[in-house]
Amino acid sequence: MSAPADVRSDVSALAVDDVTLRFGGITALSEVSFTVEPGTVHALIGPNGAGKSSCFNVISGLYTPTAGRVRLGDLDLTGTAPHKLAALGVGRSFQNIALSPHSTVRDNVMLGRHVLTKGGFVTGGLRLPRTVRTERRHVARVEEICDFLGVADRLDVPVAALPYGDAKRVDIARALAVEPTILLLDEPAAGLNATETAEMGVTIRDLRDALGISVLLVEHDMGLVMGIADRVSVLDFGRLIADGPPAQVQSDPEVIRAYLGAEAE
Amino acid sequence: MSDTLVETPVPVEPARKRRNWAKIAGVAALLVVLVFFPVITGTEVAYLKAGQYVLIGVVGAVGLTLLVGQAGQLSLAHPFFLLVGAVSYAVLAGDAGESGDLVGLGLPPLVAMIGAVAICALVGLAFAPVSGRLRGIYLGVASLSLVFLGLYLGQSLDMLSGGTSSGRPPPTFEVFGFRFANTEPAPTIMGVAIQKQQRLWYLFLVIAIGSYLLARGAVRSRVGRAWRAVRDNEAAATAMGVRVWWSKAQAFTVSSAFAGMAGVLTALWLDLVKPDENEFIGTYSITVAIGYLAMVLIGGLGSIPGAVAGAVVVNGLPQLLTLGATEFGWFASAGAGGLSPVLVSAFVYGAAIVLVVLFEPGGLAAIGRRLTSRQGDRR
Repeated sequence: MSAPADVRSDVSALAVDDVTLRFGGITALSEVSFTVEPGTVHALIGPNGAGKSSCFNVISGLYTPTAGRVRLGDLDLTGTAPHKLAALGVGRSFQNIALSPHSTVRDNVMLGRHVLTKGGFVTGGLRLPRTVRTERRHVARVEEICDFLGVADRLDVPVAALPYGDAKRVDIARALAVEPTILLLDEPAAGLNATETAEMGVTIRDLRDALGISVLLVEHDMGLVMGIADRVSVLDFGRLIADGPPAQVQSDPEVIRAYLGAEAE
Repeated sequence: MSDTLVETPVPVEPARKRRNWAKIAGVAALLVVLVFFPVITGTEVAYLKAGQYVLIGVVGAVGLTLLVGQAGQLSLAHPFFLLVGAVSYAVLAGDAGESGDLVGLGLPPLVAMIGAVAICALVGLAFAPVSGRLRGIYLGVASLSLVFLGLYLGQSLDMLSGGTSSGRPPPTFEVFGFRFANTEPAPTIMGVAIQKQQRLWYLFLVIAIGSYLLARGAVRSRVGRAWRAVRDNEAAATAMGVRVWWSKAQAFTVSSAFAGMAGVLTALWLDLVKPDENEFIGTYSITVAIGYLAMVLIGGLGSIPGAVAGAVVVNGLPQLLTLGATEFGWFASAGAGGLSPVLVSAFVYGAAIVLVVLFEPGGLAAIGRRLTSRQGDRR
């Protein structure tokens, strides 16, 4: 990351391979496969109840699939404890802002550095010069990330005092603070107005371009998805019904049927 | 917004914080008062004892606010760890041949103090399977069972605790040959002899300041951030790589260690280790559990300076009122069934909690913050 060159070179593809997820008799995901190519923005869409969130939770380790694998390059992420994913380069943001409301923006985003730093109660409590120096370095990086997301002027403000749109950006900043190679965004535009959604789209593209990382987003806002995604996967009733560039997916009769309920011609 | 998000080597520059001179002056003045407190109180040792009791409260409350405020785990088990700390110190430092059946390992007192704190930390860690699974009021009630366990063990393990009738004396504290006891001749500061109580004051002061700084540092660093994240959203904490169960266990361990230290100090303060006779009134009772909870609530959950302020209110007030009663005859007309210092102070801090919850959930810490108008809190 410290090279003056502009993009990361260690980004690998995230492959969802034949994933099936059952809860008792209910099949939430059925043989779903798609690949998030390195350095692309990949959208996962579908009507309500299509299995987007289930799929997202399988990737982020909250659910273990009944069958199938999730791979990041050569790493098999299937069944990896969720807390180990951050260290493997998976950053994620949350649909409903999951920040500490009373802590400052800086403090919240610094949590993203957890796996990149060391130290327990005693080393932290003693505030040894070495610890403080390391921390200062990480704070500087965090401020850089916040600057990129446009919340650098809010660093000392408690998150509870932020407008919703800014809080969403802080949530993404925290996911980026992990220095991920793949960024999972859960409905980044949920709750945002049209202007904020457009700005969010620009930001997502910008960070993909600047870092060269992959982005997988689950999103309802079709305008945002079609505007920024390099590739779109569509789920319906737990099955993958389309997978391709936005233009192709948009005109796919299966997708239109799933969304509008019309009979495919 | 910057154009690039590529990490650039950051020149390490000295922190250019704006020094808040008023704050620094205030802290310096407070330190001077604390250091010269034995001189100020002179021969009035009762005031010094009251001050020592507040310092014990500071150590315990700082530990509890880390657990309850920072890590979000309600615990009423603090008195249990006070008891474990006090008894462990007496057992580890106690003289084996001292008296009859009492167990004593005869370790140097400093080693015994550290050992007692370590034992409390381990016992706290052992409670982690429970504290990690329960939350809120359920954890509160479960932790309360430890107080009853302490009561039972204290009464039944006479050879360790000394039993309820006589208790056992805690060995005199000693660091590198310097004894915290009366000596002849004693060193003096500005004409005031520095005897046992004065020495204990300085010991307690150093430990209280150390506890404060350690907790402040932890809250500002990685471990504190992890605690707050676990408190506010476990899923998010997990996604950021925090091992939630370990973070919870760590908070309980640390908090228990602080309580253990407060227990050692309590033994030295009372000059006696004696298990309680019932669960409601006593040194290690439910009343004490509620008192510690009151400290962290009044001070503002999670705030370290707040915990200190809470300790001053909750531990200081009854001491002060008792002093008033003996020195100036307050409550003289009370008689049986009337007001006692302890009762009055219970009312005062009860009322303080109600006021805090109603008008300033951030507690004294938030009021202080507003007065100094510093933006962004550290909770």
